[in-house]
Amino acid sequence: MRRVKRRSRLAPAREARGAADREVRRRLAMGQTITQKIVARAAGLERVEPGQYVNVSPDYTCCQDISWPARKRIMEEAGVERLARPDRLVMVVDHTTSAGMGTVYHRNHGEMRRFAEATGANYYGPGSGLRHQVLVEEGFARPGLLVFTDEPNIASIGVVGAMNLAISTEVVVTSVLNENWMMVPRPVRITLTGALSPGASIRDLAQILIRDYAQTDILSQACVQYDGPGVATLSLDERQSLLACTYHAGADTALMPVDASALSYARARAGGRDFELFADDPDAAFDHEAVYDLSAIEPMVTVPPELFGAVGVGAVSGRRIDQAAIASCASARMDDLREAASILRGRRVAPHVTMYVTPASREIYAEAGREGLLSIFAEAGATVLAPGCTTCWGYEGYLNDGEVSVSTHQMNYNGRNGSRTASVYLAGPALVAASAVAGCITDPRDLLAIEGRAA
Amino acid sequence: MTAIRGRVWAFGDNVGADDGIIQFSQVPDLGSYDVPALKAMLFVLLDPDFPQKVREGDIVVAGRNFGHHSHPHAGVAMRESGIKACICESTDSAFIRKILNVGLPVVPCPGITALAETGDALELDLAGGTVRSLTSGRSLSFRPYCEGMLQVWSLGGLAPALRERVAAARQPGGELAAEAQA
Repeated sequence: MRRVKRRSRLAPAREARGAADREVRRRLAMGQTITQKIVARAAGLERVEPGQYVNVSPDYTCCQDISWPARKRIMEEAGVERLARPDRLVMVVDHTTSAGMGTVYHRNHGEMRRFAEATGANYYGPGSGLRHQVLVEEGFARPGLLVFTDEPNIASIGVVGAMNLAISTEVVVTSVLNENWMMVPRPVRITLTGALSPGASIRDLAQILIRDYAQTDILSQACVQYDGPGVATLSLDERQSLLACTYHAGADTALMPVDASALSYARARAGGRDFELFADDPDAAFDHEAVYDLSAIEPMVTVPPELFGAVGVGAVSGRRIDQAAIASCASARMDDLREAASILRGRRVAPHVTMYVTPASREIYAEAGREGLLSIFAEAGATVLAPGCTTCWGYEGYLNDGEVSVSTHQMNYNGRNGSRTASVYLAGPALVAASAVAGCITDPRDLLAIEGRAA
Repeated sequence: MTAIRGRVWAFGDNVGADDGIIQFSQVPDLGSYDVPALKAMLFVLLDPDFPQKVREGDIVVAGRNFGHHSHPHAGVAMRESGIKACICESTDSAFIRKILNVGLPVVPCPGITALAETGDALELDLAGGTVRSLTSGRSLSFRPYCEGMLQVWSLGGLAPALRERVAAARQPGGELAAEAQA
C-alpha cells in the first residue's frame, strides 16, 4: 500500500444536532454512493455523508502555469522550501504553450521547471497537453482516487472513476501539506439511455444539461454520477467531453462508472500503481435523479453570451462566421478530431474563415498524425496548434471587434476570446467543421446527407 | 470560541457575488484589493444605502444560490465592511472556499430565511453547527465546520493559515522538517 502515513491528526467533524442529526441517522442506515466512498477513502473514514466537511489527503494535486506567480508568492510568504509529498504534485504548462517574445510566460515556464527540479514535483512543459489529459494519460488519475486541481472542468478524469475537486489558490495547501478540507459533494445521478444518432455529438447533450440546470441550484455542491445503458454507447473520449462540461450546469464535479473499457484504459496507464474500484451500494440514495435519452439529442448551438443559451442549430443556421476552432478540455480528443476530419476530408474551409485545431495532448497530436487527420486539417486550410488551451481563452485566435466564431470551447461570455464585441458560439466538432466549410453556422447533417447520397 | 453574534441583514434568492454582493465589472483595480471602492459597492444593487448602514459585527442572511459567480473581492468587500459571517439557504462550494480564504465564513443552512429577518440578532456556532435567533429564540442546525476550516477562519484566511501550518510542519519531526527528506 502506497499510503504509508494515513494522515490527519485532526479529528473528523463532529456531527450536527437536531434536524441535521436526524438526517444523519437516516443516511447512516443507507448505503453509500461512489462519491461518498471516494471521499471517505481520502479522509481515512469508514463513511461520510453528503454536505459533511472533512479533512482529506488527496492522491494528487494538479496546477497550471498562468496563475503560477501568485501561487509561488503565497508559498514564499509561508516559507515553503519543500513539499510533504512532491510525488503527488503534477505541474502542467497548458495555458501558455509558447514562451513568446514580449510575454512573461517564458519566465513562468522556467520558474515552474526549477521549482519541480528543486522539490521533486512532476513537471510537464509546454505542448505536453491539457492537465485534464496529462492526468489520465500519465496514469495519475485512477479509479477511486481524489485529485485536487485548479479547475472544475478537470472532472473529465471521472472517466476512469477518479474524482476532481476544484480549488484555486488552495492548490498550494495540498501541494505543500498534502492535506486540506472539502465538503462531501451531494450525489446526483443522471441516467443516460439510447445512443447518439448520426450528426449528433455528446457536446449537444452537454449544452442541453447546461441549459436545463445552470440557472438553478439543483446541482449546487453536487457530484453528478452518470450512469445507465447510454454510457456504454459512448467512447471514453465522448465521456470525457460530457464530464468536462458538467461543472457549467452547476455541479462541483462528476464521475462515470468504470466499465470494462474504462478499466482496461486505466489499468494500462496505472503502470502497477494502486487504485480502488467503487460501486454504489444498492440502497444508496441520490439527492436528485434525471434521465436523458441520447437518441433524442439533436445538434445544438449555444448562443452567446450565456452558457445556458443552447438552441437547436436550425434557430441560428446561416449566421456568417469569421473563425472556427476545435479546441478545449471539452472537445479536442481523438474522437473530436475524427468527427471534424470526417467533415473536412476532401473539403476546404471557406475563404473568409480562419480555422484552428488544437489536439488536447501531445499523445493525441501524434496519434492524429498517424491516422492522417493532421494532413486532412492542413489540406482543408486549417491551422493545427500546439497542444494546450490555446484558442479557448483567447491566447491564440484572438477575435476582433464584431467578429463571430463558432468553436468547441468551454466559455462564450463577452471578451472570452478577444474583443468584448465579438460573439462566441459553442457547438460540437462536426458542427464547427461544417460551419467552417460553409462559412456560416451549418447543421453537420446537411453535409453528412450529401456524403450519404454520394455513397 | 467559535460563536459569532450579530445583527442581521437579510436578502433574497439568487444574489450573485459579482453582480449582487459587489459589481465585479466596476472593480477599478483587479491587481489588488481596492478596499474603499469595494466597500462603497457592497450590496448597493439591492440596497443603495447599505454601505452607510452596515456596522462592525453584522451578519448576512441570504436565500438560495447565494454568491454564485464569485471572485474573492466579494469576500474582501464584506470583511472590510465589518460583516462577520454569511448564512444562506444554498450556495456553491467555490464561494464557501473563496470567501473563507479571505477569513469570512459562509454557511449553507436550509430554513434560515424563515428564521431570521433584517434587524434580528443571530448567534451561530461554526464548530457546533447551530444557529439561534436571539430575537425569537428559535434555532436551526447546519453542517459544522471541520477543524481545517475552523483553523483558516480563526487565523484570518488562507495565507496566514498556511504560514502557521508550514511553520508547525517545519519543526523537527514535522512533515516538512529538513531531516524528513534529507
